[in-house]
This record gives sequence, structure tokens and C-alpha cells, in this order.
Amino acid sequence: MERLKELKTDIYRCIHCKACLFAYSGEPSRKGVGEHKGTFGKEGVLYEGMLRSCPAQIEYGWEAYSNAGKVWIARAVLEGEIELDENVAEVIYPCITCGLCEEQCENDVRTVDIIEALRAAVLEAGVPARDKHDLVDGITKKEDNPYGGKKVDRMNWVEEAGIDPKILNKKDAKIAYFVGCTAAYRQKNIAGATVKLLQKVGLDITVLTEEVCCGSPFFRVGKTETAKRLMNDNLALFSNYDMVLFSCAGCYRTLTIDYPKWTGEKNTFKTMHAMELIANLVSEGKIEFKEHKDLVGKTVTYHDPCHTGRHFAEHFKHELIAESDNLFMDKRKLNKKVEDWFEVPRTIIRALPGITFNEMYRIKQDSFCCGAGGGVRAQYPEFSLNTASRRLDEAEAVKADIMLTECPFCWRNLSDANDRDNHGIPVYGILELIDTYDLIKGAKATPKKK
Amino acid sequence: MTHYNNIEKRDIEYFESIVGKQYVSDNPAIRASYLAKSVMGLESQIAEVIIRPRYTEEVRKILVWCSTRKIPVSPISGGLSGGFGCALIKPGGVQLDLSRMNRIIEIDEDSRYAVIEPGVTAGELWAYMEKYHPAFCPPIADGAPPAATVMGDAIDRGFSLYTSSVGPQGDNFMGGEVCLPTGDIIKLGSWALHGVKPFYKWGLGPELFSMFMGSQGAMGVFTKGVVKIYPHPEHKTIKAWAMSNPYDMQNLTLELGKLEFGIAHNTVMVQGGNWPLIMTRWPKDKVPAEYDFYKKIGVPEWWMNWEIWAQTAEEQAFVEKTIDKYANDFKKNPKCKDPEAIKEWKLHPKQIASRLKKPNKIAIPYSYYEAGFLFITWYTPWNECADFCVEYNKILKKYDFPEVMWVASIERCRQAICMPIVCFDSSKPEDFQRVQDMNRESSEMCLKHGWINYRPDPYVHAPMMYSQAGMYLKYLRKVKEMFDPNYIMHPGRLMLP
Repeated sequence: MERLKELKTDIYRCIHCKACLFAYSGEPSRKGVGEHKGTFGKEGVLYEGMLRSCPAQIEYGWEAYSNAGKVWIARAVLEGEIELDENVAEVIYPCITCGLCEEQCENDVRTVDIIEALRAAVLEAGVPARDKHDLVDGITKKEDNPYGGKKVDRMNWVEEAGIDPKILNKKDAKIAYFVGCTAAYRQKNIAGATVKLLQKVGLDITVLTEEVCCGSPFFRVGKTETAKRLMNDNLALFSNYDMVLFSCAGCYRTLTIDYPKWTGEKNTFKTMHAMELIANLVSEGKIEFKEHKDLVGKTVTYHDPCHTGRHFAEHFKHELIAESDNLFMDKRKLNKKVEDWFEVPRTIIRALPGITFNEMYRIKQDSFCCGAGGGVRAQYPEFSLNTASRRLDEAEAVKADIMLTECPFCWRNLSDANDRDNHGIPVYGILELIDTYDLIKGAKATPKKK
Repeated sequence: MTHYNNIEKRDIEYFESIVGKQYVSDNPAIRASYLAKSVMGLESQIAEVIIRPRYTEEVRKILVWCSTRKIPVSPISGGLSGGFGCALIKPGGVQLDLSRMNRIIEIDEDSRYAVIEPGVTAGELWAYMEKYHPAFCPPIADGAPPAATVMGDAIDRGFSLYTSSVGPQGDNFMGGEVCLPTGDIIKLGSWALHGVKPFYKWGLGPELFSMFMGSQGAMGVFTKGVVKIYPHPEHKTIKAWAMSNPYDMQNLTLELGKLEFGIAHNTVMVQGGNWPLIMTRWPKDKVPAEYDFYKKIGVPEWWMNWEIWAQTAEEQAFVEKTIDKYANDFKKNPKCKDPEAIKEWKLHPKQIASRLKKPNKIAIPYSYYEAGFLFITWYTPWNECADFCVEYNKILKKYDFPEVMWVASIERCRQAICMPIVCFDSSKPEDFQRVQDMNRESSEMCLKHGWINYRPDPYVHAPMMYSQAGMYLKYLRKVKEMFDPNYIMHPGRLMLP
């Protein structure tokens, strides 16, 4: 409840305008791709102007499932108008915490923080956790990952990918690759592809066998004690490295944004997504790509993971707000930084020869979520996959043959929805695609953090 | 005092049988999610049950049941037309969420109307017409968020993007279908005759529609509405002139407003205000509080914008030139108080683009200054709007609120819509009291001048205003009894029981 109280000013800034329900709520005349009747959404969606895009509100319909509804529930809780009980839990957990709402808010209400704080308050009040969240919590307490893989097996992918095991716990490396649980236990292809690519560009990296879950699932669902324990273990483990690299959007967001927020201190290491590093090399002309016959003529599209996309855009904004004495003048600087940030994956994709890149209608800050995050995939699998399938419908609307992303969790959910609903759009991580099709023509130098 | 019954299990079972179990909820969290204590009212309460009908017949059956059972019903159209539509203001009863009734039924380009259901939002109708009827656009509320519903704004007689040219949103209303607690469904305008197009708002005459305008759900439930649509010409711009005081703003604007059958019809939106309108869109501790800063970046003390729509570039240029000529001539007018301060405010193309954007989120960030705001809106004859600004700002200052004033022309400066924006911290109970104390004092002042409150709140404006209109209230109640004999519709609103 304390954290919810800390967010009181944010909560009371909400005027219930409901702009948060829509992508492009500030661009009513935005030109789109017209109406498309999707494989999943057969009734069709008009991809023009502002577009209803809160996944939970689309799925459940009720006001309470939307961000505005949840913020007013939080306010009613603070004012003692309703109890923190199962009724509240029922409506606040089916939310992917994608942050689309936060992006639309003209009053800069920190909606994701409010939802997470409300979840934590519900658990503090004695409401039982959602059963799948409890299950995952129990597994993680034992094995330090939510998938139930054995601790000792966490780095098995190294050998399976044919990578020299000397990469493990290298004494002299200054850069560590944080693999994350999804890539370590499930999407091992992502982990292998990332390391191979980093090695190919000449980077001396290590992977630490004692790495534990980043804690993201537990921060998201309000299980903050578990999250903090994992955070402290990772902070101790990585404290002597100059830089930590990531292939997982969720891990990257958690170590970069959540850890300093919860410790109140800056991390001792820099963080960077592998995608940023590769994009920098592309921009500097130090990597060139080549065609692959199987990809020539294909149309790809890119799904912005919420955790590497607008969660960072919002992070930049709130950093700026905290530092600024005159927000009226300073906020103008933000747009360029955010625009540059969203160009990172696009820099790589545009450099891939022989491929057509078609953007979906909802992109960047206004991207539509894949449906996996916020504890939703575990607890509400149907809602989760329906959301992913709505996203794939949007990819169909721009005639995509392949959907790219850069998050193993997005990858998993989008791939599962693709299989379930037969969209016929395979999903790849950008780096995975590069590795799978051996697209690097030449790499000239070891990159440095910009 | 009307006695109402609480919701019982049998009521919920009946509602579920009508709309389906999944569209009825008495979950306290779901009920609380409909609260909205901001923008146009601070009185929002939690309903006993929320129902989300899809069809007119479902609405009709619910109303009949509730009327028989004496259960209050407060409808909301689903979006936000200044404070979440018709938020419940008395505890208990049914909140009828009409957001599932969101069909765009017909667009007639020749007779120039759109038939819509109550849940159609301004942004969605705008996008739909841009795609399928690009030569026309709907009368959406300017300044209200894109999630505001077109119907909500029409019933409120709100401010549309054409209001300065053609009148308030109520004037754009061409007819509708209303469900009554008696079980009857009335069609308004020429729709009253079966099979007739809704082309003539005055219908069979006398026309009943005005009984439902401004009623905010207190008479019945609109299940369909017909609003005028207008051409959407290619040539648009904003012309702005600066001045140092509201009297020069008022009198220059009136000169131009009187150019009827001329450029006044091209100026679809004529709105202005004072420099705190800019300041209070930012957090109080993160922007300069003194005018000097805003002066340096080119913000005038007072200003007026004319949004110009024209069919040709020549027509647009003529309107711009005429505004400039009248502004320059006004400096020599004996009514002009400060000729030196009258200057064109040359807007950056981005500022023009931002102001032309429809619908927009321009009214939302006033909550950012502290944590909450209230629009308290009054209608005055146009030539009294400057007095309003001066008198109201004195009261805002007395109660330690920033003096934020927005003024717009209605129907070519026949009337003014004057809207002080009261920025306060809604997380502090004492600030609510401060707002209400200020509201009472300013309402007394306004009524003494003969100014009318638009959308009167039930605790301050309505009692003060209706107490001065006894005979009117007597007949308003009789009308209410005719449509809603058991007084179940939106109780307390409009000082009706």
C-alpha cells in the first residue's frame, strides 16, 4: 500500500479522459492501411486514425480492465470507498502492463507503476496470488527461474549451440551477456544466435552460470519480495562488469529501469541490448549484410516489444521530468531522443538487402502489445494468445511474410498464436534471423558503447 | 423526496436475462471504475450495478423494469464529454454503460447528416469519415478528448468544432430515438413519421427534441442520434491576434463576428484566452510562474484565434486579409483600450497544425498543474464576456487559484462560452472545499449579471439557478413526470428529484 500511496499524485491527475484506450489518440487524421479482416479478427479493424488498442479492454470490454478504470479503482481504494479484495484482483491482473496507456496520457500519469503497485497492495492485503503466479513463484524460489528448469542446466544452451564453453565465467571479460530465463530454457535459439553474432563482431563476452531470473515477472505481478531477492543476487553477480548485454526485452528493462528504481541507486554497470550494439555497428559501416536466396523478395515487419520500446521512451521522459526546472522548454528535447531510440531495430532491418520492410499501422510508442507480459501469458493464456493473434492480423494487413521482433517472450507468444490461428507468418528475432541465414557479410571492428 | 429501492438479486437476474450475464456486474471494483471526479463535476458516486446493453430493445426493457421497481438509472454514452458523460451523482441504482451501442448507422452526404449510436466516439467517427466520406466531417467536440462521444456532446449542447460559425452542438442535432421509462420509444424530428429520413429537425412541430437537450439523461435514454455533418474543405489555417486585455479581445472579435454572410461563416472556431492557459498545462513546480517568461517566448497576455476553413486558397486569403484589416482598424476604434498591444501573433506552422488537429487532447493536461481541474462554464452575451473574465478572475485570485480563462464565440459572437479552468489538487480534501466555496461565490456573481451556467452541477449551480426560475422548474418537472413518471432517470441532475 505504501507504494500506491507514493503514487497518489499520479493517481489523482487522471481525469478519466480515456485517451489511454487508443493508439494514436493524438493523431486522429493519421493515414493508415484501411480496413483489414484478419485471420483472427474476422469482423475487421479499420487501421486509420486513433485506434482502440488497450488489449485488456478489447478482450474484456469492461471499463475496469482499462487503465483509466484501474486508476479510478486505485483512487477508490485510497479513499476507502472499496476494499482491496478478490474483486479488485479479478480485474487488475488481466493487464499486460504494455504501457500504451502511459504513452497516451497527457498528464504523464505513471500507469504501469500504478498497476504494479495496486497488485502489490492486493497481495499485501492478504488476497491470494493468482494460482499460476504462485506456482511460478514457488518454482523460482527453488530454481531461480520461472520455467522450472534446473539451476545447473541454465547454460546448457551453450554446448547445444556449439559455442565454446570457455565463454562461461571468463575471468578477464568486461562485458557479460545476461541470457535471461526464456532464452536459457525455452528460446535457446535466441541465446545461441546472440552469442554467435556478438562473437562474430569481435566482442569478448562472458556468460555467468550463477545468473538468476531478472525478477521481471515478479515486479510485474506484485511479488516484490521475490523480485528484490533476485535483483540483489544479480546486482552482486554483475557488479564487477563494465557492461551487461541483453537479448531479452524484459530483462533489459528490468535491470535498466526497475533495479535503480528499487535500490534508489544507479547500477554499477552499463546496460545495452545486443540489438543496439549491432545497430551502432551498422550505422558506423562496420557491419555489412548479404542477401540470402530464401529471403529475397520477402516482406518483413517489425513488432516493437513494449519492454524495449515505449517502456524506455517513458523512462526517458520521467528522467527528464525529474531533472527539469522548466519542462515547457526541456520537453522539446525528448522527441529526438525517443525517435532515435525507436530507430535502433529499424536501422538493422533497413540494412538487410533483398528484403522489403513494411511497417504495421501501430508502431513505436503506439505499438500494439504481443500479449505475453505482466504475468498474463501464465495466468490468462487465451487472452494472451488472442492479443498476439490480433497483432498478427495487423501484420497480415501489411502483407508481411515474416514478423521480426527482439524479445524471446514476444517471439514465443507471437509464434504460438501464429501456430494456433494459422496466420502463416513465422516470427524471428532480428539477430536470430541474421544468424540463421548467415547474413553478415563482414564485420570490421569491436564495438564500443556510444 | 422520491424513495428508491436498492438492487436485489432478482433485479440482477432480470438484467442478465436481457443483456446476457457477461454484460451485468455488481463487482465493487468494476462499479468503482466508472468514477470520475473531474473536468465538469466532482460528485460522481458508485452505482449498485453496471449494465452494458447492445440494442434499443434491451434498453427499453431495463427502463421499464427499473421504473416498475423504482430503481434509479444513470446512462453514460461511453466516452467522456467533459467529465465522463453523465456520471452517477446519487448513490445506488443502475449505471447504464452504452459503449457497446457504437454503430455508425448512416452517413448521408446530400442531406448532410450522420446517424449514430450513443457509444460512437469522436475519434472513431472522425477516422471513419476521413476514410469513407473524406469530403465531409462530423461535428465533434473541440477540446474534448477523442474518446468523447458525439452523442454525449450533442445532448450536452456542447462546443463543436463549428460552434463559432453555426452554433452549439444542440443546434447540430437533427433528431434521435429515445427510450423512456414508460416503455415507449420516441423518434424525434422528421423521424417521427415512419420511414421518413431525419432531414428536418423541427419535425412535425411542436418538436420535442429540446426537452432532451441538456437533460444529461434525466428524461430518457438516447439510443440513436442524428447530427449534421459539414464539408471538410482543404484550405484551413489559424489566424491569431494578441492584445493586453479581455475588452480588446471581446470588441475586436465582435467586429468580425458581425460580418455575417461574409467571413464570419468561414471562422468555424473563434476562441481565445489569457497566458495562464499555457502555464497551467505543465506541472506547477516545473514551469515559471511569472508572465515575463511567457512574454519572452512570444505568448501574449490575451489573444484570440480564428480558425479559418475555406473552399479555395483565394477565399482563405480573403478571410485572413479581412481579419488583419479589421484588427489594424480596431486600433483606431474609440473602444480600443490598448492599441499598442494589438499585434498579430504569428504562429509557427507546428502551432497551426496542432490547433487544426481534430479531435485533440488540448483540454486534458490541465490536471498536470497540480492534480485535478474543473471546467466551470458559463454562457454570456458576447459583449459581456470581457466583464465575465475580469470579475471571475478576481474571484479565482481571491481563492488562490491561477487565473485561467478560455473564451469562445458561439454563432458568430451572438453568445460567448466562458470557461474558467480551476486547477487544484484533488488529492487534498480541503481543495475540494476551496473549489466549492469559490464556485458558490462566483455563481452568485454570475447570476446577478444574468449569465447562464452551462451544464449546471447539482449541488451549486442548479439550486441557485432554478430557484430563480420557479415557473420554468414547475413545468420542467411536469415534462419529466410525463416521460419518467417514477423519477428513475438520473436522479438529482437538473434539480429534479
